This record gives sequence, C-alpha cells and structure tokens, in this order.
Amino acid sequence: MSTSTSPAAAPGAPRSGVRMRTYYWIVAPMVLLFAFFHTFPVLTGVFYSFTNYAGFGDWKFIGLSNYANLFRDDRVLGAYGFSFLFAITATILTNVISLVIALALNAKIAARNFFRGVFFVPYVLAMLIVGYVFKFLFGTSAPRLLAGIPLFADNILTNATWAWTAIVALSVWQACAFAIILYLAGLQTIPVELYEAASLDGATPWQQFRTITFPMIWAYFTINMVLSVKGFLQVYDASVALTNGGPGTATESVTMLIQRGGLSGGEFAYQTANAVIFFIVITIVSLIQFKGLGTGEADS
Amino acid sequence: MKRTTTGSRWRPRPAARATIGAVAALTLAGVALTACSPASTSPGQTTLNFFQFKGEALADFEQIIAEFEAENPDIKVVQNQQPDADTSIRTLLVKRRTPDVITLNAGGKIGELLRAKVFYDFADEPILKTINRAVQDIIADLAADDGEVNALGYVNNANGIIYNKAIFREQGLEVPETWDELVEVCERLTAAGITPFYGTLADSWTVLPSFNGMGAYPARDGFFDQMRELGAAVGPDSAASFQKDFAETGERQAKLYSYAQEGFRGRTYDDGNGAFARGETAMYMQGVWAMNPIKQANPDIEAGIFPYPMTDSADDRLLVSGVDVAVMIGRGTPHLEEAKRFVEFMFRPEIIERFAQSQNMIPSVIGAKWSDEPALQDVKPFFDDGRIAGFIDHQVPAGIPLDALVARGLMENDPQAALVRLDNEWAKVAARTIK
Repeated sequence: MSTSTSPAAAPGAPRSGVRMRTYYWIVAPMVLLFAFFHTFPVLTGVFYSFTNYAGFGDWKFIGLSNYANLFRDDRVLGAYGFSFLFAITATILTNVISLVIALALNAKIAARNFFRGVFFVPYVLAMLIVGYVFKFLFGTSAPRLLAGIPLFADNILTNATWAWTAIVALSVWQACAFAIILYLAGLQTIPVELYEAASLDGATPWQQFRTITFPMIWAYFTINMVLSVKGFLQVYDASVALTNGGPGTATESVTMLIQRGGLSGGEFAYQTANAVIFFIVITIVSLIQFKGLGTGEADS
Repeated sequence: MKRTTTGSRWRPRPAARATIGAVAALTLAGVALTACSPASTSPGQTTLNFFQFKGEALADFEQIIAEFEAENPDIKVVQNQQPDADTSIRTLLVKRRTPDVITLNAGGKIGELLRAKVFYDFADEPILKTINRAVQDIIADLAADDGEVNALGYVNNANGIIYNKAIFREQGLEVPETWDELVEVCERLTAAGITPFYGTLADSWTVLPSFNGMGAYPARDGFFDQMRELGAAVGPDSAASFQKDFAETGERQAKLYSYAQEGFRGRTYDDGNGAFARGETAMYMQGVWAMNPIKQANPDIEAGIFPYPMTDSADDRLLVSGVDVAVMIGRGTPHLEEAKRFVEFMFRPEIIERFAQSQNMIPSVIGAKWSDEPALQDVKPFFDDGRIAGFIDHQVPAGIPLDALVARGLMENDPQAALVRLDNEWAKVAARTIK
C-alpha cells in the first residue's frame, strides 16, 4: 500500500506488482506439492533402480545390473509385447469407432441428447466394476450363448492366444465414451458455412469428410491419439479384472509386472528400473506422435 | 487382490480377505484409540505390544488376552491387528519398533525375517518340547540352519484331496492309498457317470494346493537346497531342476486334471466350492480352508480329506501342512519375561484347543484335543506320526509367478513346458538377486 503513494511509480505498476505476487502465491503451492509428491518420488525411484533394494532392509549400489537384466528377461519383454500390441489395436479401434459415433451424434438425429448421454455412461462406470461384468459375460454367458464357436465355448479369457482381444473389447468399450466427447467438441467448432459452400460445389459426403471435417478436427484427433496410446500402454485395471494377467503371463502388462514384481515379488529395485525404462518409452512414443501428427495439422 | 497373496498362496479367498482387511482396519483404528488413552495403564503395569496378523482370529485373541490379564494383573496386552501384516511388520522392523509378541503366517515371506534374527531364540525354552516336532521342522525349513528356533508353530492347516464320503460309500470306494488306487478310483467314478474332480483354473492360485501336495514328494531330499545352490545355473542339464525332478509330478497333476469336469479351465474357486458342496463331483483338490465355504453352501455335506498318494506304498504317504499361525517374541524386547509368560499362556492345552477349534485348524501342542471337524480327524494319524511336510511354494522366490506358470501348463495340457519355464524363471531371479 505504501508504494501506491509514491509519486515516482507509474499508475498501473504497483497494482500489477501485487497482481503478479498473487499469481506467484497461487502457483507456488502447486509447484511445491508437485515436487514433493511427484518429482521427488520419481527421483528416489530412479536412485533406487541402481541398487539392490528389496523395499526394506539393507541395500547397496549395483550399477546398471538391473537394467542389463531387464533386457535379458523374457517375462519383461513379453509384457512390453502385450502392452504395445494391446495399445496399438485399442487406439485404432477406439478412434475409428468414436469418430463414426461422434459423426452420427453430431448429425440432426432424433433424441440426439439422449444418445449422447447413453454413449457417455461407460465413462462414468468404474473400470473394475465393468470389468467384472465383462468377466461374467465372457466366462459364463458367452460359453452358453456362443457354444458353437470353440473360442467362446471354452472361455476366451483362459485362451493364451486370444485372451488379449477380450481385454481390448472391454477397454475400447469404455474408452470410446471420452473419445466421442472430444470428437463431438471438435465437430461443433466447424462452421456450417463450409459445408454449405461445399455442397454448392457438388462435393460428396465422403469428400466433405476428407477435405473439411477431418482437417478441421485434426487437433482433436491428435490429442485423442496421444491420450489413447499413453493410456492404453499403461493398461492395468482391465487386465486385472478380466484375466489377472493370465493365462500364465499371457496378458501381463508392463504396469502389472512392475506392481507385482516390485511390491509382492520382493524385487523393488529391479522393477523400479523397469518403471524408469517404461517412463522413457512412453515419453518417446508421445513425442514421436506429437511431432508426426503435429505436421499434419500444419499442412491443413 | 490375490494379489497380494503370494506369501500365503494357499490361504484362500482374496475377496473375503479384503473384507476382513477392511473390518480389521476399522477395528485397528479402535484398538489404536484405546492404546493411546493414557489412563489405560496403571503404574507398575507392563504393557505388551501384541502384533497379530489374522483378522478372523481377532475375537479369539481378545478372549485369550482378557483371561491372561485376569490371571496376570501386572501385565496389559494390546492387540494390534494388522491387515497387511507382511508389510507392516517390515515397517516396524525398519523403524526398530519391534513388537513384543508377534503372530505371522509362516508362509514364504517369513523366511527372510527368521534368517534376519529379529526374533527371540526359543531353542532352550521348555515350551518347545510341548510342540509337535514335525510342525517345528516345517518352520525350520524356512529358516537358517543354525540351531536357533525363532518361531513357534501355533495352529496348522492341512492340504490334500477333499472327498465326498457319501459318494464314495455309494460307489463302494475306499480312500486311495497309492497312486494306482487313486487312478482306479477316478476310472471307476468316470465309469459310474460321476465327475471325479472339479477344476477351477480361472483362479490360477487354485492349482497350487495340488502342486504343493504332490510336489512334496520330489522335494523331500533337499531339492530346494540344491536349487538355491545352483541358482543361475539351473537348466536342462543341471544336477537338479524342475523339468527333471518334477517331471512325474507335473504329468500326474495333468492326469488328475484330465479327470476334471468339462470346462474346468474357465471355472473359479467359488464355482468349485459350490459344485463340490452340491455333490457334483466326488473329489476336490483343496485344503481344509475350503471346508468353511463348502459347509456354508451345504451344511450337511459329509466330507473328508486324504493326502495325495504319490507312491506305491501306503506308508510313504505325506500330508502337506502349513503353519497358519506362528508365534514369535521380538529379540531384545525389554519385557522378555512378561512376553514369555503370555506365550506360555497361549500354548496351554485348553487355550490352544479352543483357539484351534474356533479357527478350524490343527493345534501344534502334543496331546491337545483336535477340532471334531471330520476332515481334520482324517489327517490326525499323519500328525501323530510326524508324516507331514511343508508347502513347497514357500521355497519358491516370490519373484517367480509360480501359480500362473503351473496354471498355464495345465491349461495347455503341457506340464513339461511349464516346468521348463519354471527353471528359466528360477535361473533369472537367481541371476538378478544380488546380495
């Protein structure tokens, strides 16, 4: 307050100084909380990945041994294989299905808001609950209803080759809800005039989609792709609910392996090294996606 | 979830345990509040901190404590029931706040605590002589081989083949005592149109009771000591390996599952308990812990239990049993005398009898009366003769997904491939465990 009486000060300056200070006060707690609850634990984890720490008791540095052993562990490689296969399939399916549904929900159909609500419901439901419902469907209903198809008759969840497709089905079913919302938001930003002009020029619906709709929602497509891949790579609860990683370790995801091996398996440091690698992998994948998809946006 | 559960894989029902955990957590909050109240300890009174892992035994221990305190007015015992005991005991040990008296499940995870010498040595205590030697041998298998006795077995479970006595009677079948007799029983049941076994592979841990029951035989002569010595060298050509020493066990386990019901790959533990209770199958590869849910589904069922007969001679049979509750005293506790008095009180025949009866378990004290549960009475001779063995999965490092690997072998009907994978995991874990 004393500064405001100073004649030398420019009229707006003191008030803006106060405002800036207020902003810092708003930002600072978050930075501290983030550092304390996120950055610091991550760095601790990185630190422990160079030790033989079991989660308790004594430990010592063992250099890069954990990392070297990771690349020799076929269980770890299997988990990465499953996670990537799952993430790529689920991302493609989620985005194709969501975009089609979003286009339908954006058209002038009857009971449009009702349908929008229905398609959002899966997002509200907890994954574990839906997961157990799906487990019942695959394990009890499908073997009876589809008794003619050997794959379903014998419970697809216990089939080492195909169990992952059931997890894809559950995850896509739930992930579509949020992707649809994003695509709907994108579709509503497109000015109607563009379509009017296009139809005057005699453009077919497919041409309209290819040259107007898709380029206009490119940013939404990018964010959906990045979020999907990142989320699906970290698949955990869907796998826990449906197969618990089984049969054997066929549907064991990387996150599940880190949790299991690190906490109940007594190999804390080893799986922490795995977590560090996984963090780097996800970061690289996301950067590649932003770079690759970002160029497309600039072209439009 | 089951997860969790690796240390005591044969303790069933993760869902129930989660509920128990929640209840226990609430109770714990209550206990903690009472414990904090300063008025609860009168001057000259010693307070014993009693760490207790078994949620379903909370009330039984409350009763024991009340009786003990009435007899020993100078001691107050505070029961500290821990839902995730394996983790919380480690936390306490790291903080050097070892409880005075401790109970833990003597599963795979207790081994490293016993070897860490954080518990009192009972080797010279007279109480040790009152306990069944075979029970202490199971604990000794998990501990260091140096003559110290750091834990006392309190109550045991029994793992074998549960069978429906009524079906056996109707079919004129006897309890099989050799492997050939077991196969014959299965054949005769099949011929009579009765499914011999109920398989529940959708819960992969349910393959471990039979793996433990049958694997006890090849593991008898120091198999796991040899495996630990070999470590990373375990492989197809090593002196000991699962693929060589367990080949017959794997085959025979697959053989028993070939007698399981149609679609056993997709059924769960709950399905199995219900189906066995309804008399849909004659036998069930589970331990006594399954008797509770089975009896809930059908209180009138006449069920017994017999050990896996894996040899040609009835006298060579081994009953697999785990120490469900082990009792320890914290090494270096300032209240050693009081702690010993409490432990001796717990092991009095009338006290342990009542506890075992209530928990449907087997008391470790020689001469203590057994629960009248018929399934337990069936296995009593094995305890009396000391023909019991521990769970072999406790010897397998927790980093190896044993249940998943064994289940996959049965799922694909290729037990040998599962054993090869098991050897591979063993070698990998040994290679990356850097001491």
